[in-house]
Amino acid sequence: MTLFIENGAPVIVQGMTGHEGMRHTARMLAAGTNIVGGTNPRKAGTAVSFDVSGSSVDVPVFGTVAEAMEKTGATASVVFVPPRFAKSAVMESVDAGMPLIVVITEGIPIADSAFFVASALSKRIQIVGPNCPGLATFVDTEKNPGSTGVNLGIIPDGITQRGPLGLVSKSGTLTYQLMSELGDIGFTAALGAGGDPVVGTTLLDALKAFQADDDTKACVLIGEIGGSAEQEAARWARDNMTKPVVAYIAGFTAPEGKQMGHAGAIVSGGKGTAQEKKKILEECGIRVGSTPGQTAQIVRQILEELGE
Amino acid sequence: MDLYEYQARTLLEKENISVPAARYARSSHEVAQAVDEIGLPCVIKGQVKTGHRGQAGGVLLAKTKDEAILASEKILPMTIHGHKVNGVLVTEAKNILHEYYVSISLDRTSRDYDVLATVHGGTEVEEIAHNHPEDVRRLHIGPLEDFNLEAATKMAAEIGFYHADVDQAAEILLKMWKVFKETDATLVEINPLAKIGNPTDESSKALCALDAKISLDNNAAFRHPEWSEFTDSQNADPLEVRAQQHGLHYVRLDGQVGVIGNGAGLVMSSLDAVAGAGEGNPAMKPANFLDIGGGASAAVMAESLDIVASDPHVASILINVYGGLTSCKTVAEGILSAIESNGLSKPLVVRFDGNEAAEGLRLLADAKNPHIHVNDTMEEAAANAVAIAREVSTTSGSTTGRH
Repeated sequence: MTLFIENGAPVIVQGMTGHEGMRHTARMLAAGTNIVGGTNPRKAGTAVSFDVSGSSVDVPVFGTVAEAMEKTGATASVVFVPPRFAKSAVMESVDAGMPLIVVITEGIPIADSAFFVASALSKRIQIVGPNCPGLATFVDTEKNPGSTGVNLGIIPDGITQRGPLGLVSKSGTLTYQLMSELGDIGFTAALGAGGDPVVGTTLLDALKAFQADDDTKACVLIGEIGGSAEQEAARWARDNMTKPVVAYIAGFTAPEGKQMGHAGAIVSGGKGTAQEKKKILEECGIRVGSTPGQTAQIVRQILEELGE
Repeated sequence: MDLYEYQARTLLEKENISVPAARYARSSHEVAQAVDEIGLPCVIKGQVKTGHRGQAGGVLLAKTKDEAILASEKILPMTIHGHKVNGVLVTEAKNILHEYYVSISLDRTSRDYDVLATVHGGTEVEEIAHNHPEDVRRLHIGPLEDFNLEAATKMAAEIGFYHADVDQAAEILLKMWKVFKETDATLVEINPLAKIGNPTDESSKALCALDAKISLDNNAAFRHPEWSEFTDSQNADPLEVRAQQHGLHYVRLDGQVGVIGNGAGLVMSSLDAVAGAGEGNPAMKPANFLDIGGGASAAVMAESLDIVASDPHVASILINVYGGLTSCKTVAEGILSAIESNGLSKPLVVRFDGNEAAEGLRLLADAKNPHIHVNDTMEEAAANAVAIAREVSTTSGSTTGRH
């Protein structure tokens, strides 16, 4: 069973020729992702050379997403386009029928995100993000020799390996922190859902995917103040999941009405507090760690109980 | 960004939504001038970005100029639920026949827009929803859809607007939608949307927006240069302004342990760890939130440290970095350069993990600075920063709380 994306799937990068795009395309290639092209109408027909562990890899630049898909068969796009142009970039992929779009960009107007998310949903296209670290999958190298998994976005490579955990998170660095704390146990996939008020793949959507994946035995959910995505995921898990979920929530000390870094991380009208989230998660049978370290300990304990 | 009432009403006025005549005033002298222009009786309304200001005494009716001046002298120095009053709005007093509530907001859960209305306006919407759930009407508008006259008229009729007001209410709902979309708002609320006029004269009756609340999407600021007039320079925290100029997210809190980290989630988590370790007597709490972002340079780190250290309440500083894109070595260079160039002497507790953590820790160790402490985990580092802050506060003999 495939989580989110097939191993070795061909991927394009929108915004590849920009500063951030170049830097992260090099990293994704080094992590083994099959990057087959980038898009930039002004540089169409050229190619960008990347140094991948000592050897040079040329990635062609296409004028449009549709052309890139036609020439390369790409099934996923990673978007590094700045906020001002992000809506039209994502809509270009949606209109071209790209099955999976991972939007890394932070600072996209909410109305723009709401528009492209609704457009994607109406076409059964999966969007991850925006304002997220992306998606990383890990493969069993014994079963799939030579395969490395897919790294779409900015999640650092080499922190962890294939294992029984699925992780979904609103926060980038807390994702890396938990991946690292549980690095020896390993993951099937880690998905950064993003810190914006409107995202394409919710915490609930990710739990659904992990529940359906035979190799994922337990889930780690990292939430934070703002909105109610954690509560919705928890209620769904209570009613539908057979696999344990362990959660961590950040922001117990966040004051009302102050945006804590992420656009979506805000307690407003007394709603979306960490206390409220913890309470509902626990009522739904989800154990909530008090720190990332303690959360990792609970995960270990639960895996032992499962005999993993 | 939340707007003050006096700012929000200008956005409604631009769409020709009827609002009472009003003048914004910052002193009792300006209030006297405003009364001359507006007339009597008038209402003096404290400008704060929080609810329940009426119950807190922040809204007063004045029948004479002296009463208006007296009311403003009471309200101007007030702090309501922790929010300092920023001027008053002097508005003409209207004869209110009925109060409705209408709002349009972003619905994060259904990822669309929520038009909410009820015949019971005047109080906070949470209370209305609690007391009269059966009278709350909602309509969801999808991001790919538009709100039209037909839907607005249907809604206005369903809300229970008096028959004679339905067309006018529908028109106001549509104008609110236009304000919502065109200003990149996340909330446009009119409460109360009042029916005003002389009870015996039908022709004098009309709907009027007596109070307005608007929140704007900060992410859309780049396409709204006109928002600069809303910047609250008078009440802005100077350290928050300075951080913003450097593209950093800084939020001032009321504790003694400064906190710096990379990534919003990790910084929030660090605040929680400090608050957890700081329970007891005297309690130690985080002094701020500061996110240096992804892939921060040494200069950004140095600037961040300088901002946090310049808060006089900060007794110790926790620096918690998980190097993903960010290099811990670069962060260490930033720390050392801030100490060198600014003679920083507040104790620092550093926890590095991830990218170039060992190199970063080596740089710090080589500096042999007695003010730099290092711990392996976030939990230990938070406890250490709290212990040091407690020691500093006790030996300096000062009280640790803020006022």
